[in-house]
Amino acid sequence: MSSETGFDTRLYGRFPTKGPRPDGELEALEDAWCGPRGWQWITAINNNFIGVYYLGAALLFFLLAGALSLVMRAQLAAPMSELVDQELYNQLFTVHGTTMMFLFAVPAVEALGVLLLPQMLGARDLPFPRLSAFAFWAYLIGGLAFFGSIFVGLAPNGGWFMYPPLTGMTHSPGINADFWLLGIGFIEISAIAGAIEIIVGVLRTRAPGMTLDRMPIFAWAMLVFAGMIIIAFPSVILATLLLELERAFGWPFFDPVKGGDPLLWQHLFWFFGHPEVYIIFLPAAGAMSTIIPAVARTELVGHRLIVMAFLASGFISFGVWAHHMFTVGLPTLSVNVFSAASMAVSVPAGVQVFAWIATLAAGKMRFNTPGLFAVGGLVIFVAGGLSGVMVAMVPFDWQAHDSYFIVAHLHYVLIGGMVFPLFAAVYYWTPLVSTRALSERLGRWVFWLMFAGMHLTFLPMHLTGLMGMPRRVYTYLPDRGWDLPNLVSTIGAFVFALGALVWIVDMVRNFRPFGASNAGNVYGGSGLEWLPNDLYSVRSIPVVTSLYPLWDQKALSRDVEAGRYFLPGVAVGGRETIVTSVMNAEPQLLLRMPKPSGWHVWAAVFTAAFFLLLTVQAYVASAIFGLLAIYTMVQWCWLMDKPMDQPLADIGAGILAPSYAKGMTSPGWWAMAITLIVSGMVVLLTGFSYIFLWSQRPDLWAPPAGDLAGILALLAAGAGAAWISVRALEHDGPRSPWVATLFMALSAGLVTGGWVLDATGWLGAGLKFDGGPQGATIAALLSWQGVFVATGLLMGVYAVFRLMFGYVRASQPTTFQVIGLFLGYAAAQGAFAAALSRLFPGV
Amino acid sequence: MTLILLTAAACADKSGGPRQLAGADAERGRQTAERLACAACHEIPGVAWPQGRVGGSLTGFAGRPLIAGRFRNQPDVLVRWLSDAPSLDPSTGMPPLPITAAEARDVAAYLYTLK
Amino acid sequence: MSGLGEIFGGWPPPVLDPAGPFAGPVTALAWVLLISGGLVLAMVLGVTSVALFGPRRWRAKLGHERLVWIGGLAFPVVVLTALLLHGLSLTRDLSAPPQPGETRIRVTGEMWWWRVAYLDTAGREAVQDANEIHIPVGRPVTLELEAADVIHSLWIPRLAGKVDMIPGRRNLMRINADRPGTYAAQCAEFCGGPHALMGLVVVAHAPAEWDAWRTRTAAPPTPTPGRGAELFLSAGCGACHTVRGTPANGLAGPDLTHVGSRRTLGAGILPNHQGTLAAWIADSQAIKPGNRMPAYPVLSGPDIRALAAWLGSLK
Repeated sequence: MSSETGFDTRLYGRFPTKGPRPDGELEALEDAWCGPRGWQWITAINNNFIGVYYLGAALLFFLLAGALSLVMRAQLAAPMSELVDQELYNQLFTVHGTTMMFLFAVPAVEALGVLLLPQMLGARDLPFPRLSAFAFWAYLIGGLAFFGSIFVGLAPNGGWFMYPPLTGMTHSPGINADFWLLGIGFIEISAIAGAIEIIVGVLRTRAPGMTLDRMPIFAWAMLVFAGMIIIAFPSVILATLLLELERAFGWPFFDPVKGGDPLLWQHLFWFFGHPEVYIIFLPAAGAMSTIIPAVARTELVGHRLIVMAFLASGFISFGVWAHHMFTVGLPTLSVNVFSAASMAVSVPAGVQVFAWIATLAAGKMRFNTPGLFAVGGLVIFVAGGLSGVMVAMVPFDWQAHDSYFIVAHLHYVLIGGMVFPLFAAVYYWTPLVSTRALSERLGRWVFWLMFAGMHLTFLPMHLTGLMGMPRRVYTYLPDRGWDLPNLVSTIGAFVFALGALVWIVDMVRNFRPFGASNAGNVYGGSGLEWLPNDLYSVRSIPVVTSLYPLWDQKALSRDVEAGRYFLPGVAVGGRETIVTSVMNAEPQLLLRMPKPSGWHVWAAVFTAAFFLLLTVQAYVASAIFGLLAIYTMVQWCWLMDKPMDQPLADIGAGILAPSYAKGMTSPGWWAMAITLIVSGMVVLLTGFSYIFLWSQRPDLWAPPAGDLAGILALLAAGAGAAWISVRALEHDGPRSPWVATLFMALSAGLVTGGWVLDATGWLGAGLKFDGGPQGATIAALLSWQGVFVATGLLMGVYAVFRLMFGYVRASQPTTFQVIGLFLGYAAAQGAFAAALSRLFPGV
Repeated sequence: MTLILLTAAACADKSGGPRQLAGADAERGRQTAERLACAACHEIPGVAWPQGRVGGSLTGFAGRPLIAGRFRNQPDVLVRWLSDAPSLDPSTGMPPLPITAAEARDVAAYLYTLK
Repeated sequence: MSGLGEIFGGWPPPVLDPAGPFAGPVTALAWVLLISGGLVLAMVLGVTSVALFGPRRWRAKLGHERLVWIGGLAFPVVVLTALLLHGLSLTRDLSAPPQPGETRIRVTGEMWWWRVAYLDTAGREAVQDANEIHIPVGRPVTLELEAADVIHSLWIPRLAGKVDMIPGRRNLMRINADRPGTYAAQCAEFCGGPHALMGLVVVAHAPAEWDAWRTRTAAPPTPTPGRGAELFLSAGCGACHTVRGTPANGLAGPDLTHVGSRRTLGAGILPNHQGTLAAWIADSQAIKPGNRMPAYPVLSGPDIRALAAWLGSLK
């Protein structure tokens, strides 16, 4: 095998090392990774802790949202029941859907990744442990505040897809809708933070020798999942931002009275909303593809086909969003294209289902609890997929759309495709994080109750839909004939809930996390996560030579535990892991990781407080907390990129690797690049909104204004200055730090200048932001760029501070490389926005 | 309450089963009441919707001595009340209803099942 | 208990009980999909059972990547392509543009009722009505769907599917009934508050009867004279409602010119007679919580009766 990075792969032959390990090596490792004591559990940043918190919180929201559904089912058990009133019911289904999608499904699978990936990949932790912790705390605080709104009657009541104009200021004047918009927008930011972590983790922290061919199927699923979040979530972030701006300032994006278009929301929402289904499904499918081979004791049939299927699902799912809009009056041609794509997207799902069946046939299934949930999930998912094909047929969808048939379909897909696999995963991986496995006896009860309850609830709903019952009705009239199927559904829901209750009992009795040891490989899995484990993950990081290392590398567990592989102790001090190359996972770098500190927790608390206070319109308090959040984040950054005194470290068997990362080797640079892709998506979609609104109402467009050439020149100069700054630092002359800092500050100033010129150009021509769709969209573009300008200026000041502290050195250019990348991007983004907004003629 | 029951019993004694309407069918009456949506004004036990608040509740109607607090609760009075209430009480808000005499008898029989 | 079970009853399921050429082919498609979906599900369950419990020799045959290629790729591609082609041609047929001269009716979704206007040949709103659509049997009719406030969706399962009503846009929907009768319709897009109680009735007449109905509806009514008419104006009903031939010309609520001849009250939720009219006037909030009409506790019993009687006479 040729080398990807120049690393000599023959060095792998040095492992496993011979001879005894030095005294004190293990103790140093334990010391570096010691667990939190007392209140320190709040500031813990080890994925073994954060992963459990994260998954626990997601499952809590599953139970809470499930409890709401029981109230709804009780209300619908009989016609015209008065258990809950209209307004509360409308809040109930909105919060149920929102919580299940945003606070349970996405966080749960993301949590599964945070919890499992380091162990599966043989890393000590994910590359940005504080970011995971920040994402978790932000999600927990935001999620609880959002959910709590139902208890005070302030919960949103427009349905989980929040269609304007119903959710606009005219028809929803209360702050209920703002809770949704700000709460969810905030939680999405946390999802994106997690996705960045997962992408860099999967691509850059795999154990040496774990080439892409040998990467666990779950890691593939998580990689595609995270990539899809990066592309899809910006759309809903933009949508929520625009609606909030419209509500707060009257900028008309969706309000048809002032030239907006309600359909813009639907396009933006579903461009996120459909991929969302696959975002939820793929990690769960990855778990299925891990668990089924384990319970059937055989290798996964069609591993490569499944990886292809992940990628295909990822791509095609971005082309199906309008199948939620078959009834809005789209042109027949687009309807047909989306119908075809919706059918096509079921093919990769079929590939996975048949690969699982083939795997079951190739091995011999053991009917333990994870196995039952896996097979049960498969059956439910197939049924949901088939009703999905039905509604992908446009004429049938004209009948089924927005009826209980859809309610049945979506619950079959999500419960079969995500909930059952997740429960399989909970039972399968609990022995990894708990000192006791969950009970097989109770597990069977949980499965059968949930399986029976699920069908009893949702199978009749297909019929209720065909009988004419629309979704989201707080009651129905007695003479519709819907009484019996609804009663059956209600009974089913309570049977399902009983299953969940038995599961809670099982968890209370047996789930014991954070212990000194774990229950071990109860179900006989093949992945690295089942190596002997501690808070530091594995004692030494193995060289992987197989897709099923524990099955194929017989002595692996013993040698890993004896410290005979990479990084058997602490190389330069503190928490560390190995960064490897993208394709072949060749060791490149010793990554030094942070110790626990409180800044990220405070950042999460202040950010959440900022958003929540904004929601309740306490603007001054909100601004104070916003500034505090920025302050804590800057402090957090300040902990990074400190001077290094030991440039090379022994990462095992005498192999030396740098302990400082520059440029594209640095995980931080990757994280910034991915963040900028997110922003790029937001701006592209805002551009789409601009064109979309123009195409609807070109009569409302004013002619281009301002000096485009001047704006572009300033921004180009800004990008150039950033480039010169980075090059100057690399040049390593005596005045390099000064020159680099000067040019970086200059770059921030020039980018700001471009933005000011852009804004004054439009304002000078009399453009009103609340006057029409053109002004509104331009205001949105300017606001977004304004955030970048402000951040860029902050970075400029930050660079000056680093100079004052003597941190600007040629030997550690990463901070400047990252800032340079940011400012270069900001210049490009500003140029795009300025040019696009002036492309369209006005009258 | 006792007094009401006694009064009801006394009436029953005098006219020999006054709550019996010959040929009337309470079940048919229930269907007619449903078709008319009497519940739009009156709360009726066993009817989930509507639950009107404008007219009085019909819960326990069979045991009441009076109709609308004024008229003897006798089958012939009730039938007339149901068909054309204003002819008995010009100040009532209850309009004449579009039902035949036979239907009114059925509805009356139904109302006498409301304990 | 609304006495409208004959119109709105759910059995046989209206989606599977079509009454016109725009719904019939969709029902046929639904059966094809339901049956073939059931067969595929049975097949997958069968294969899974063999994989789990079958004899070793059978399992060995299945436990191979070949199964993925055949079952997961080839089979769905063939079946889905066939379905898709069928679906595309059906979509094209059903979304054919209106023929010239076709009757046009503008239906506007409002919170939480339906404004209905019959257009003349020049496209002007010739006759105003509400909560009922009257069509001639056997002739395709084009509905122009609009929304006044938020998004609604008109779903007439026995005559067509559903099409959304979106503020600022106009969508078309075509319906055609095979036989005279009443057909239930319902708002399908969540539109806030009492969305659950937003129904509509489509009445299909024999063509001659329909012409007569239109002539009658176009003319002002001949109400029984009485106190009701004065009360209607003095109580301020005319601020929201129009009764042609009187000074009442409000536009916020349903046109009541021929309210007495309608089959339902409150947008498809109550039967229509003097009793329910009185109930609605006195306290519609008890019947349809959240609707835009206030309760009128100030009116005396006889006043309410007079109003109900007068409105009921607006045939």
